[in-house]
Amino acid sequence: MPKCVIDGKEVEFTPGQNMIEVAAKAGIEIPYFCYHPGLSVVAQCRMCTVEIEKMPKLQTACSTAVAEGMVIKTKSEKVIKNQKSVMEFLLINHPLDCPICDKSGECDLQDFSFKYGDSNSRYTEERRTYMDLDMGPVIKKSMNRCIHCTRCIRFGEEIAHIHEMVATRRGNNTEITTIDGRPLETDYAGNYADICPTGSLTLKDFRFKKRVWYLKKTPTICEGCSKGCSMEVHQDNNVIARCLPRVNMEVNRHWLCDEGRFNYHYVGDKKRVKEPAIVGHSNPTASSSPSINPVANVNKTDWGSAIDAAKTVLAGKKVTVLIGSDLTQEEAKLLQDFVPATFSGASMFHFGTPGIKSVADDASADNILKRKSKTSNLNGMEKLGLKGFDSMPAGTEAVLVVRGGRAVLPDLKGLPAIGLGVFNESAAVRFKAILPGTAFAEKDGTILNHDNREQKLKRAVLPPGQSKALTEILMMWKNRKADNKSGATGAA
Amino acid sequence: METETIFIQHFNEESRPLAYYLAKMDGYKAAKKALAMQPDDITAEMKKSNMRGRGGAGFPTGMKWGFIPKTSTKPKYVVCNADESEPGTFKDRDIMRYTPHMLFEGMLIAGYAIGSNIGYIYIRGEYTREAKLLDAAIDEAYEKGYLGKNIMGTGFNFDITVHRGAGAYICGEETGLLNSLEGKRGEPRVKPPFPAIAGAFGGPTIVNNVETLAAVPYIITNGGDAFSKMGKIEKSGGTRLFCVSGHVKKPGVYELPAGSVTLRQLIYEHCHGILGDKKLKAVIPGGSSAPVLTADEIDVVVDIEPLMKIGTMLGSAGIMVVSEDYCVVKLLGRITKFYAHESCGQCTPCREGCKWMEDIIERIEHGHGREQDLNLLLDIADNINGKTLCALGDAAAGPVMSFVKKFRADFEAHIRGGKCPNA
Repeated sequence: MPKCVIDGKEVEFTPGQNMIEVAAKAGIEIPYFCYHPGLSVVAQCRMCTVEIEKMPKLQTACSTAVAEGMVIKTKSEKVIKNQKSVMEFLLINHPLDCPICDKSGECDLQDFSFKYGDSNSRYTEERRTYMDLDMGPVIKKSMNRCIHCTRCIRFGEEIAHIHEMVATRRGNNTEITTIDGRPLETDYAGNYADICPTGSLTLKDFRFKKRVWYLKKTPTICEGCSKGCSMEVHQDNNVIARCLPRVNMEVNRHWLCDEGRFNYHYVGDKKRVKEPAIVGHSNPTASSSPSINPVANVNKTDWGSAIDAAKTVLAGKKVTVLIGSDLTQEEAKLLQDFVPATFSGASMFHFGTPGIKSVADDASADNILKRKSKTSNLNGMEKLGLKGFDSMPAGTEAVLVVRGGRAVLPDLKGLPAIGLGVFNESAAVRFKAILPGTAFAEKDGTILNHDNREQKLKRAVLPPGQSKALTEILMMWKNRKADNKSGATGAA
Repeated sequence: METETIFIQHFNEESRPLAYYLAKMDGYKAAKKALAMQPDDITAEMKKSNMRGRGGAGFPTGMKWGFIPKTSTKPKYVVCNADESEPGTFKDRDIMRYTPHMLFEGMLIAGYAIGSNIGYIYIRGEYTREAKLLDAAIDEAYEKGYLGKNIMGTGFNFDITVHRGAGAYICGEETGLLNSLEGKRGEPRVKPPFPAIAGAFGGPTIVNNVETLAAVPYIITNGGDAFSKMGKIEKSGGTRLFCVSGHVKKPGVYELPAGSVTLRQLIYEHCHGILGDKKLKAVIPGGSSAPVLTADEIDVVVDIEPLMKIGTMLGSAGIMVVSEDYCVVKLLGRITKFYAHESCGQCTPCREGCKWMEDIIERIEHGHGREQDLNLLLDIADNINGKTLCALGDAAAGPVMSFVKKFRADFEAHIRGGKCPNA
C-alpha cells in the first residue's frame, strides 16, 4: 500500500482515496462543508485546504489526489489562517441565530466555527438577507443561513435524479433555491436537511420538536420496504422525534427516502390500539355489524379477557393465520412453532403489499432505494417457507392476523378475526379482539432484505400502554387455562 | 525599416470579405499548407514559435496543443475564447470585426493539428455586431468550401459554430466558458481534469484566445522560427496587440513586436502622452485585474516576464492610463465593484470577500472610512488571493492590494478628510 505523510504521521492509503478520508482514518480531522462522501467533489467552500510540500499554494484536500510520498500539513500556520478566514467569510452574512435554529447542536458551521473560527467579527457592513419561499411539506428553507455549499443541488442531480435545486443569480447574491420557486418534488427530500451543513434546510417534521442534544439514538432498520435501509431512530422520553439514515455502503449508502423516514409516525399515533381490546359487542361471539361506530366499540379490557375472547373466536374452528411480512424472522419462526401446536389444521400465509405476493413480484420502484414490496421482510418470510396470501382457503371459519404496523390488511371476507400486533382504531373494527403487539421501533430482531442481507432491528422505544412483545403474548395464550374465565370488565 | 505587423494593417472595413482575404492576404494558403503536413509537425511549429496565449495567462500555445491525447474515444474540440471580458481589452473585437477569416483559418489548422473537426467561437454577449459579422463570414467560408466537409479537397472536415455568451466575466475563464457552452451555469470547474483531457462535453479540448488562433496562419506560412524572431524578448514570440485606454491623447489598439517597447514609450511616443499634458498617476498594465503601477514604474518593457518581475502582469494587454487628477480610490472602488458583481458565487472567499471589499472601499470613497479599514482591506485581499477556485479571486485581490499599498496616502486622505482631496 502506498504511503503519505500527514502532520508527520505516516499514513497508508489506497490510490484514488479522498484525502479527507485518508486523514480521517489516521485520526486527523480536516474540516469541510461542501465535500460529502456520497456526492461529487466541487472544492467550493475552501475550508479543507491543506499545505502540501512542493506546492506553493494551499490545496483543497477534497479535490487533490493523494500521491505516494506526499507530505501534507493540516495544521500549519498558513492552513490555520485560511481556516480562520473561510470561517470569517462564511459567518459575515450568516444570521448567527443558533439559539432558535433546529440545526444547532449538530451543525457543521457551528462546530467548525467553535473549533477553527474566531470569536470576534470584523464585519461592520449590512448583512445579506433573502426572502424565503415555501419548499413543500418536507423542507423548511431559511436561506439567510445558507453557506452555498451546493450539496443540495448535487444531491438532487446525482442521487435523487431530479434537477430541482439550483443556484440563481450570482456572486454575493447567489441564492440556492428551486427552479421557479416550485415546491420540492423528490421523494427523497428529507436528505436535503440531512446533508445541509447549516440550518438552511431543515425538516418541517422535526422543526421545534426537540433540541438535538436531548435525543437518544438507536441504530436500527427502516421497515418501509424490502430494501431494509439502515436507519437511526432518535427519541427522547420514549417519543420518537425523527428517523435519520445510517451510513451503510452496501444498502442505502447515506440516504433514506421520505416514506421510510416518516413511517415512524404510526408508532406514537394517538389512535393506535395500545390496550387489549374487545371489539363490537360485549358478547364476542356475536357477529359484528358493519353499521357500528368503529371508535366507540373498541373496548379496552385486560389481557386475560382479551385472550379468552380470542380463544373463544378461534376455538375448534378451521383457522387461517395471516402473518405480516413486516414481522421479524424471529417472530415468524415463533409463529411457525405456535400455530400448528395450537390450531390443528391451520394454514399460514404471509401478507404485506397488495399485488406483491412473492419476491418474484418485488423489484426496485425507482432505481434509487425504494422497492415495490412495502414491507421489509418479504424475502425472509419466503426463506422460512411461508407462502404469500392470495385468497382465503375454502372452509376457513376464523382468521388470526399477526402484523407489525406496516403490512396492508387483506380482505378478511367478513370472517370472525383476531388481530395480534399493531392496529389503529379504524382497522380494529374488523376484528373481534385486539391483542396489542410491538412496532418495528419497539423490538429487536432480524429481517432479510431483498438482497438476502440480514439487517438487525434494535429496540429504540418501549411499547406503549399494555402492548407486549409477541413472545409474551403467545406465552400468555399458552399458559391461560381455558376455564379461567374472568369477566370482560375485570381488572388485569 | 518599418516593423512587420500581422494584424493592424488590415484593421479596416474593406478587409472583411473573403475575396479580400484570398486576394490580398494569401487567405487559406496556410491552411492548404498545413493540411498537407503531419499534425504533429504543426504542433512542433507552434512550439517553436514561442507563441504565448494572448488571453491573459500567457501559457505557451504549442505546449497546450501538445497536451491533447493522440487517441480519444470522445470527439475533440477547438474552442475559441472570444469572450474578451477583461475590462480595458478590445483587441479581439477588431480581429473579429475586420479579419474574421484569419481566425477561422487558425481554428481550422488547430483542428487539424489536434484531430478535431468541431470548432466553437464563444463570443461575449455584448458583441452583437461582431457575432453577426462572424456568422456572415462563416457562411461565406462554407460557401467557398473553406469550412465544412472535404475542405479544399483534402478530405478534412471542420465546422465552426458561433456561440454567444449572456454577459458574464466568468465565462472568459476557460472552464466557466465550457460550462456555459454546454448550456450549464457559467461557473469554473475544479481542475484537474484540465480541458485538454476533459473539456467541452467531456472531450479533449483546446481553448485559445482569438488573437492566438488568428496568428496561427502567419506561423504556418512563415514558420515558427520567423514568428519567434519577431519577438524582441526571450520566451515570447510574434507581435502583440495592446489596447490602450484612459487618459492618453491617442487611445486605441497598437500592434508592436512582443517585448519591443517600454510602458513609457507606449504611452508617450505611440499614444502621444497624457490628455491635457497632465502628469501620469497610475497605469494598469494588463486589464483591470493586473496590479497597478505608479508613474515611477513605467520604464518597464511591456511583456509577460518583465511585468511579472515587478509584481504585476501583462494579462490581456489592456493598458489603462490614469492621469493625476483622477481619484484612485474611486477607480479601485469601480474595479472592485466589477469583480464583486462578476463573481460566480460558488467559492467562499470570492463570493463573500469581493463584496466586503467593495463595501469598505465605497465607504472610504464617500468619507466613511476608518483607520483600521486599510489593514482590514489588505487582510481580506490576502485571504482571497490564491485561495479561490479560479483566478477571479486573484483578479479582485490584486488591484486592492496594489492600490492600497501604492496609493495609501490617497486612501488615508479620504479617511481623514472625510472626502476626496481632488474633489
